[in-house]
Amino acid sequence: MTQFDTQDPILAEITGPTPGQMLRKRVFGHQGLMIGAGVLVILALIAVFAPLLAPHDPYAQSLMTRMEPPVFLGGDWEHPLGTDHLGRDYLSRLIYGARVSLMIGGIAALISGVIGTAMGVAAGYFGGRVDMVVTFLINVRLAMPVVLVALAVVAILGGSLQVVIVVLGLLLWDRFAVVMRASTLQVRGREYVAAARAIGASTPRVILSEIMPNIANNLIVVVTLEMAHAILLEAALSFLGLGVQPPTPSWGLMVSEGKNMMLFEPWMVLIPGAVLFILVLAINLMGDGLRDVTAPENRS
Amino acid sequence: MLLFILKRLGLAVLVAFTVSFISFSLLFMAGDPAAALAGETASGEDIEAIRKLYGFDRPMLVQYGDWLVSALQFDFGESYYFRLPVSSLIVDRLGVTMTLGVCGITFALLTAVPLGVAAAIRPNSIIDRVALFLSVAGQAMPSFWFGLILIVIFAIKLGWLPPSGASTPAHFIMPTIVLGYYAMPAIMRLTRAGMLDVLSSDYIRTARAKGAPEGRVLFRHALRNAIIPVVSLAAVQMGFMLGGSIVVESIFALHGAGFLAWESIARNDLPTVQALILVFSMFYIVFTFLADVLNAWLDPRMRSS
Amino acid sequence: MKQSSLRHTLAGLAIVAASGAAYAEKANDTLRVAFTKELENVDSYFNSSREGVVLQRAVWDGLIYRDPITNEYSGNLATSWEWIDDLTLELKLREGVKFHNGEPFNADDVVYTVNFVAREENGVKTQRNVNWMKSAEKVDDYTVRIHLKDKFPAAIEFLSGPVSMYPDEYYAEAGPSGMGLKPVGTGPYKVVSVTPGQHFVLEKNENYHDSPKGQPEITNIDIRTIPDVNTQMAELFSGSLDLIWQVPADQAEKLAEMDQFTVTNESTMRVGYLSMDAAGRSGDTPFTNLKVRQAVNHAINREELVAALLKGKSKVVWTPCFPSQFGCVEEAATQYEYDPEKAKALLAEAGYPDGFTTEFYAYRDREYAEAILSYLNAVGIKSDFKFLQYSALRELNMTGDVPLAFLTWGSFSVNDASAMVSQFFKHGSLDDARDDQVLADLEVADSATDPDTRVEHYTKAIERITEQAYWAPMFSYNTNYVSTKEVEYTPTADEVLRFTTMGWN
Repeated sequence: MTQFDTQDPILAEITGPTPGQMLRKRVFGHQGLMIGAGVLVILALIAVFAPLLAPHDPYAQSLMTRMEPPVFLGGDWEHPLGTDHLGRDYLSRLIYGARVSLMIGGIAALISGVIGTAMGVAAGYFGGRVDMVVTFLINVRLAMPVVLVALAVVAILGGSLQVVIVVLGLLLWDRFAVVMRASTLQVRGREYVAAARAIGASTPRVILSEIMPNIANNLIVVVTLEMAHAILLEAALSFLGLGVQPPTPSWGLMVSEGKNMMLFEPWMVLIPGAVLFILVLAINLMGDGLRDVTAPENRS
Repeated sequence: MLLFILKRLGLAVLVAFTVSFISFSLLFMAGDPAAALAGETASGEDIEAIRKLYGFDRPMLVQYGDWLVSALQFDFGESYYFRLPVSSLIVDRLGVTMTLGVCGITFALLTAVPLGVAAAIRPNSIIDRVALFLSVAGQAMPSFWFGLILIVIFAIKLGWLPPSGASTPAHFIMPTIVLGYYAMPAIMRLTRAGMLDVLSSDYIRTARAKGAPEGRVLFRHALRNAIIPVVSLAAVQMGFMLGGSIVVESIFALHGAGFLAWESIARNDLPTVQALILVFSMFYIVFTFLADVLNAWLDPRMRSS
Repeated sequence: MKQSSLRHTLAGLAIVAASGAAYAEKANDTLRVAFTKELENVDSYFNSSREGVVLQRAVWDGLIYRDPITNEYSGNLATSWEWIDDLTLELKLREGVKFHNGEPFNADDVVYTVNFVAREENGVKTQRNVNWMKSAEKVDDYTVRIHLKDKFPAAIEFLSGPVSMYPDEYYAEAGPSGMGLKPVGTGPYKVVSVTPGQHFVLEKNENYHDSPKGQPEITNIDIRTIPDVNTQMAELFSGSLDLIWQVPADQAEKLAEMDQFTVTNESTMRVGYLSMDAAGRSGDTPFTNLKVRQAVNHAINREELVAALLKGKSKVVWTPCFPSQFGCVEEAATQYEYDPEKAKALLAEAGYPDGFTTEFYAYRDREYAEAILSYLNAVGIKSDFKFLQYSALRELNMTGDVPLAFLTWGSFSVNDASAMVSQFFKHGSLDDARDDQVLADLEVADSATDPDTRVEHYTKAIERITEQAYWAPMFSYNTNYVSTKEVEYTPTADEVLRFTTMGWN
C-alpha cells in the first residue's frame, strides 16, 4: 500500500526536478494558469473589499420581501440577484460568501500543509523508522472516509466556521505528506544537500535552507489542490446541514437553503452553485497550470 | 510474491485496527448516548439507569475492547435507533451502495479511458484540450449541486428519469453519473499519461515500422500496457467513491450504507456510525490491497519492494 | 451519429423509468404515500414518531376509540367499560374479532399486552403512555380488569390512543423486533411487507370488525420513506406518489397554485417559543435580568413570522401553552408588542447599551431560528448559533447549560394545559425559571378536580410566567397535506394520517 506514486497521477506528474529559470516564461505563456489566477485574484479582491462592494447588509432580514427573483428573471435592481428565504440580498450574501470559502480553503490548506509537509519531509529526509511511521499514518488517514468522519466530528462538536476549518485541516494533510515525502526523497540525494551536510550544517538548517526551497514548487501545487478540496468539502458539509452555521453566508449553505425551493425557484440553487464552481475551477486551473510549468518534462 | 502479499496483508490489518480505534475515540468524545437512547420523555433517573445498563460509565479502553471482540465476529451491537443488529442493517443496505459503486466506476472507466486515449493520440489537439478542460471542470463541480441540477432537468423538466429511489435500473442512472464523474478526471489523466508514455516507446515504434495497422497498434499494444496502472487506480478510486456516496445517496434518497451513515449521525446512533466508518475503511483497504497485489503481479520489479 | 444513439438510449431509459413507476394508481387501487422519517420499529410501543402513530392506527386497534372531530369516546375492541373504583377499570370485550394471523381476540390478549407493556424492564419507548397501568386481570374470556398504579383521569384517553392490543401467542414468540418486522394486529389494514425504515406495504383487512374507525376503502397502501421534501415533491410531479404531508409552507403555497394538486392546511398543537435561562443555571447570563427577557420579547415580530414563514392556520401565541388547551387562558398572558426601540432601551436600562453575545440553540426549523436570531441581532443581542439534535439539546437543557434556545412542544396532542405548562415550570430538570410561586399554583391546578379551581390557578401561573417573561412564546404550527386530485381526504388537527377515511375521487 505504499505505492502512492502509481496511484496518484497528480503526484506522478509533478515530482521531478524543475529548472527554476524557465519558470517565469512558462507562467505567463500558460493560458489556463493565467485565467485561473486572474479569476482567483478577482474573487480574492471581492472578498477583501466585500463591505465596499456589497449593496446591502448580508444579514439584513426582510421577511416581507422573501425570495424575490433576480433581475434577469423579472426582479428589480434593488436586489440584482434577488433575495433569499429570509429576504436577505442574494448578491451581498454571495460577496460575503467569497470570504468564507476563501478563508476555509486558505486556512484549512495551511493547517493541513503544515502537518503534511512536516510529516512528509521528515519521512523523506530521515527515512527508516520515521518513514515507516509516516507511511503508516498516511495509509490510516487514506483509509478513513473523509466525508463521514468530518460529518461525525462536526456533529459532535457543533458546526461553526472554526470547527469546520480545523476538522478539514486535520483531515486533508495526506496528499501533502505523500508529495513532500517523494519530493524530499528526490532532493535528499543531491550534491548541494550532501555539501551542506559536509560543512556541518545542522539538520533543521539543511531542511530549511537546502531541501525546502527545492520542493516549494510542488508544495504550491498541492496547496492549490487542497484549497479546492477543502472548499468543496465545506460546501458539501454545509449542504448536509453539518457545516458552517447560519447566518454565516456560505455558498454551500446557500445551495442547501435554496434547495428547499429548487423545484420552483431553481436560480436559488444555480447561482451559489455556479459561483462555487467558478472559484474551484479557477483554483484547479491555477494548480494545473503550476503543475505544467513546474514539471514540463511530464507534459508533452 | 507470497511474502509481499503477507506483508501487505499485515499492514492492511494494522491500518484497519488503527482506523477503528481512532473512530471509536472520536465518537467516545460525543459524550453520553444515554440521553439519546432514553428518548423525549425520560427523566434524569431513566437516563442514569440506561447509562448503567449499557455500560457507558466504564472507561473507554474497556468499551473499545468489548466492541473490538464482538466486531471481529461481525457483531457490531444493536442500533440505538432501530433496535436491530447493526450488521444486519448494514448488510441490508450495502447492496445499493455496492451497485452504485460498481456502476459509478464502470461509468467513469467507460468515459474516461476513451477520452484519455483520444487525448493521447493527438496531444495538444482540440480533443486533448477539451478532455483536459473536462477533467479540470469535473473536479470543480460540487457533486450535490450537479445532482440537484440533473434532478431538475431529467426528472422534472423532461420527466425521463425517476427522481429518487432504487427500484429499477433507471433509478441508478443519475446517481451513477454524479458519483462516477468525480473519478473520471484522475482516470483520464492517467490513461493519457500512460498512453503518451507507451506511444513514444521503442516497441511501439517498432510495431509501427513493421507496418502494423494503427488501430491494432493503439489497442493491442499501447492501451494494453497503459491500462495496468489505470486498473489499480480504479480500484483505489472505488474505495474512495464508496466513502463519498453519502452525498449522492442523500440527494437521490437511495437507502444505501452512505445514507444510513448520514441519518445515523443525525440520530446519534453511535454503534451504526462506528460500524459504518469501519466498513467504509475496509472497502478502501481491501481495494488498495487488491490494487497493490495486482500491480505486483503484473510488474515483477515491484515484488521486491 | 453518436448524438442519435445517445438519444435512443435516453428514450429507452425513459420507457424503463415509466414502466417502473406505474402511473394512475387509482386504477390499481393503491395509494402511494411518503414518510419523511425513517421509522425505527413498526411495533408502536417501540417508536416515538408521527409515522409510527400513523401505522399504529392502521394496523392495530385500541380498546376504546376517540372520534378525532367530536372527541367523543366509543368502544372499539371493548364494547363497554366501567370504573369499579378509582384504581380499577373493568371492560367488556368485543366477541368474534380475529387478528390478521387468524388468532382470535380475547381477554388473554389484553392481559398479555397490558402486563407486557406496563413492566418498565420491557422498555416501552414512551413510558408515559403505559406507566400508569399496574397490571391486567382476566375475569372471563371477554371481560378484563385493568389495575392502575395511581388515580389517573386520562386513562380512557390513553386507552383510545397509544395503548393498542397485541396477539398474546404471537407477541410472546416474536417480541418487539419480530412484531416490528412482521406486524400482526386487528386493525383495518394488514401489513404485507416491511423493509425496516424504508418501505411498508399495507393491504385492506377484508374481515375488519364493525369498528368506529370505519371500513377501509382503498385496497393497497404503499409507503416509502423519502427524507427530502424536494424529492417527495419531485415524485409527486412525476406521478409516483399520491399523497405527501408535513410539506413546508412555501412549497405548499407553490403547489396550491398548480392545478393538479389538493393542498389542505390543518393547525397542530405544537407551540414554538424561546426559552431563557432566568434562573442563571448556565452561569452568569444576562437573561437573569427581567429587563433583558422583556427586551427579547419586544424584539421579535411575531405577526411577521406567522405571516411570512409559518402561514396557514398558524397563530401568534402569547401563552406558555396552546390556547385551545383546558386552562390555557389567553387573557392572562402579558402581550409584548413588536418594538425594537423599546427592546434596545430595556437592554440599555439593564446595563447592556451595546447589547451582548449569547449562545443560541435550536433543534428544528433552522429557518425560523435564523429569522428569530436576526430579530435579536437587530436590537444588539448577537448570538453564537448552535443547531443540535433534539436529544443532544435536551441533554444540555437538563444540565442547565442553555442560556437561550428556540424550542417547540407538541403536548402529545393532549388538550389540557398541564401537558405543556406543567411540563416545564414545576422545577424539573428542564425548568430554567424555577419560580416557587408558579410551582405552587401549578401544583394546585394539576391535582384539583374542580374545573374552576384549575382555571383559576392556571391563570395565576400564566400571569406570573408571562409577566416575568421567562419564555418568549411565539407561534403555533400547522401542517400541509398535498395530494393528487384523485385522492379524497380530510385531515384532522392531530397530525395523524387515517387511511380508513381516505378514498378516491
